Amino acid sequence: MSQAPNHADRSERFLLDEERTTWHDETLWFIRQKRDRAVYATPEFQELRELASQIKDHTLSRLAEYLEQFEARALANGVHVHWAADAEEHNRIVLDIVRQARATRVVKSKSMLTEECHLNPHLLAHGVEVIDSDLGERIIQLRDEAPSHVVLPAIHLKKEDVGETFWQHLGTEKGLTDPQQLTEAARQHLRAKFLAAEVAISGVNFAVAETGSVVVCTNEGNADLAIGLARVHIACMGMEKLVPRLSDLAVFTRLLTRSATGQPITTYTSHFTRPLPGRELHVVIVDNGRSQQLGRPDFRASLKCIRCGACMNTCPVYRRSGGHSYDFTIPGPIGAILSPNIDMRKHASLPFASTLCGSCTDVCPVKIDIHTQLYKWRQVLGAAGEIPASKKWSMKLLSRVLARPGLFAAGGSFARFGLRFVPHALSHAPGYNPWAIARELPAPPQQSFRAWYAQQRPNQA
Amino acid sequence: MKVALFVPCYVDQFYPQVAIASLQLLAKLGVAAAFPKQQTCCGQPMANSGCEQDAKPVYHHFVDTFRDYDYVVGPAGSCVYHVRQHFDIIDQTPAVQHVRTATVELFDFITQVLGITELPGAYPHRVGLHLSCHGQRGLHQANESEMTPVRDGRLRRLLAGLEGLALTELDRNDECCGFGGTFCVSEAAISARMGQDRLADHVRNGTRVLTGGDMSCLMHLEGLVRRRQLPMRVLHAAEIFNGALA
Amino acid sequence: MSMPSREKMLAAVRASQPAATPLPVVPAFTGLASVARFTAALTGISGRVVVLEGWHALAAAVSQLFPADYRLASAILPATVAVASNTPIDRLAPIDLAVLRAEFGVAENGTVWLPEAHMLHRALPTVTQHLVLVLDQRNIVATMHQAYAQLPDVGGYGVFLAGPSKTADIEQSLVIGAHGARSLTVLLH
Repeated sequence: MSQAPNHADRSERFLLDEERTTWHDETLWFIRQKRDRAVYATPEFQELRELASQIKDHTLSRLAEYLEQFEARALANGVHVHWAADAEEHNRIVLDIVRQARATRVVKSKSMLTEECHLNPHLLAHGVEVIDSDLGERIIQLRDEAPSHVVLPAIHLKKEDVGETFWQHLGTEKGLTDPQQLTEAARQHLRAKFLAAEVAISGVNFAVAETGSVVVCTNEGNADLAIGLARVHIACMGMEKLVPRLSDLAVFTRLLTRSATGQPITTYTSHFTRPLPGRELHVVIVDNGRSQQLGRPDFRASLKCIRCGACMNTCPVYRRSGGHSYDFTIPGPIGAILSPNIDMRKHASLPFASTLCGSCTDVCPVKIDIHTQLYKWRQVLGAAGEIPASKKWSMKLLSRVLARPGLFAAGGSFARFGLRFVPHALSHAPGYNPWAIARELPAPPQQSFRAWYAQQRPNQA
Repeated sequence: MKVALFVPCYVDQFYPQVAIASLQLLAKLGVAAAFPKQQTCCGQPMANSGCEQDAKPVYHHFVDTFRDYDYVVGPAGSCVYHVRQHFDIIDQTPAVQHVRTATVELFDFITQVLGITELPGAYPHRVGLHLSCHGQRGLHQANESEMTPVRDGRLRRLLAGLEGLALTELDRNDECCGFGGTFCVSEAAISARMGQDRLADHVRNGTRVLTGGDMSCLMHLEGLVRRRQLPMRVLHAAEIFNGALA
Repeated sequence: MSMPSREKMLAAVRASQPAATPLPVVPAFTGLASVARFTAALTGISGRVVVLEGWHALAAAVSQLFPADYRLASAILPATVAVASNTPIDRLAPIDLAVLRAEFGVAENGTVWLPEAHMLHRALPTVTQHLVLVLDQRNIVATMHQAYAQLPDVGGYGVFLAGPSKTADIEQSLVIGAHGARSLTVLLH
């Protein structure tokens, strides 16, 4: 394993600011509670989860067919359909469309896929101005940071940070921290960008095979405003975004925001099916590792994800380590099962960034068995030698001891003896014993249970 | 009914009183449990570290140890869950299948197998219940806040039935304590912070005795309690019931 | 140009996808389709609901709600800015108020369906500073299931709109009026 910082190193840095960690944890827990209230108030919620799960399972099981159906309908609707095998091809296709439109000003609404493909740097490098229009995305774009959450990209920042950024980049008053005023400043700044943009890029929440429509969900209305004004709309979608029927959207729109933020639905649930005469709608369908993940039976269910972020909000590790600690486009539990598919070595520590408490699985609106997949990725990583060698060897040794009761009993007495007679400063030295950085070791008892038991029943020995 | 007591490795070595209480409690309920002394561990530490292939001999040893018993009862939901859930990677011989279903957590055994839903006795203390995730979400021993606002569960009911016992109502009823097996050392900083936050919830809401059905969570929390010298005792629920039951 | 990728991707998917599983039948999930439920839901997401005495009361109600001298775009009231699907951006940008007809409402979440046919211009519902939607109160359905069942197709462009534009991207503080309309009023008749 490489010496690059892993999740534990990055979280340790996050945790240094105790107060901010508390704030981060409580803010996301508050969203989890809003989700809970919306879920409790929807009696059929668990039934909807099961339906959503089955619809997604079904779609994945016939994905090729649905992709072809979607393409045929979209083409009939006058939509241009593009296929991108990887991020590079996606970026090339988007740039080509922008160039063919002779455009230099692009406004982009929220899209985790374009983050995944690193589209912005590609466009910027080729002289195209690309402005993220979702408020959170714009904030982190100005700061040159990555999103730390799929729904709340700037959740790692406080209003003071935003005030500072807007003072530097938008010329707002120094020290401005009122979210209302900061949002208004962004509204004014971005409105000019919307009015000037020649191309609007959006993500896709759902693509409907039977109608060839793409559906985009936002609260801010930025996608609709940009797309409604620009001559060219490019919708970038992962190939797993399909649902078979228009009516399936009822199931997913009921689940998405209740799970994400506790809202009953997003403010704008927008269906784009046909471009107006003289305008263009392009859909770019992207693989970028998805077909490979589809071929992994233990992990293909991760492709059912609808990017609600509920697993992040509920994850006690995510809440205390922040999205950047995952160093992957999609952070949190879902990111930890998606990332090893992309780069097993780089993201080897992510499936271990969990206590396997299972809360992620229980909030997931499409019932992805996230914590089971975390456990299974650990086995894949272990078998591939992508865990620290020290761990690998200590586990082999442990196994030999645990399969031999005699060795086990002797080892246990040795450990207890050690704890009783080694000085506290040594047994609790942080360099040797990470347990003891914050915790006392168990007070060593005089004898083990097995020794006590043998004394009680001497004739059974 | 032939019952074996499964004593997880760390309980055997560091918390013998929990195993003793479990054994005595079962005896008071009319169950003479045996302790097959060749037992070691369920293999979870290896498997959670990504080395489940290395754990296979341990799984086989576990099955060989307990195959002749009708029930294998352990005072730790996490280990029980591991046996039931993750022993699926070895050949599913009749013995393996039997041991997987026969391995039961102590309070599931008492409530579901013995059918005892109330234990007599008094325990006049403010008690905070820590739900172990593997017990709650894995073995379905308690309601989950992800599904319902109703706080209910088997151990919670048993505790509430003790005379004089006042249960702490926590702000977050079922958040993980951060133990997580090897997670507690590989992600030591987060693990500690999660445990500290759990304890702060208990302190804020008046817990004087912290209990639960899983000694692994409690070992971690106890380490934090002692380091910070918090005003609470940490006891496995078996110790409480064994003490309360004459 | 992208044909090779198309074939490559479809082949990879075919090779990877598991055995077919059934597509479930989604139950109707009906419920209360009342004005009260719709109003409570929309009010809960920062929208406003006003019940009109009748269609004739529309103009008076709008001028009472927006008494100032607004630049108004509308297909159902005398407009001060004429808008069509090809209206240039510089004429759209200064619009203060749009009054449009909505097709139907959804009681469970306070959403209304706004098809392209009622929008005048695709950007009008978001470019306007304030938005008023007029809805026949008999056209309220219970849940999103009935809502989609109402739609034979979604047209070229159509939106389920639920309240004014909003954001909580700064410290989770709710702010109304992110990029789209700063207010949404549904007038029921």
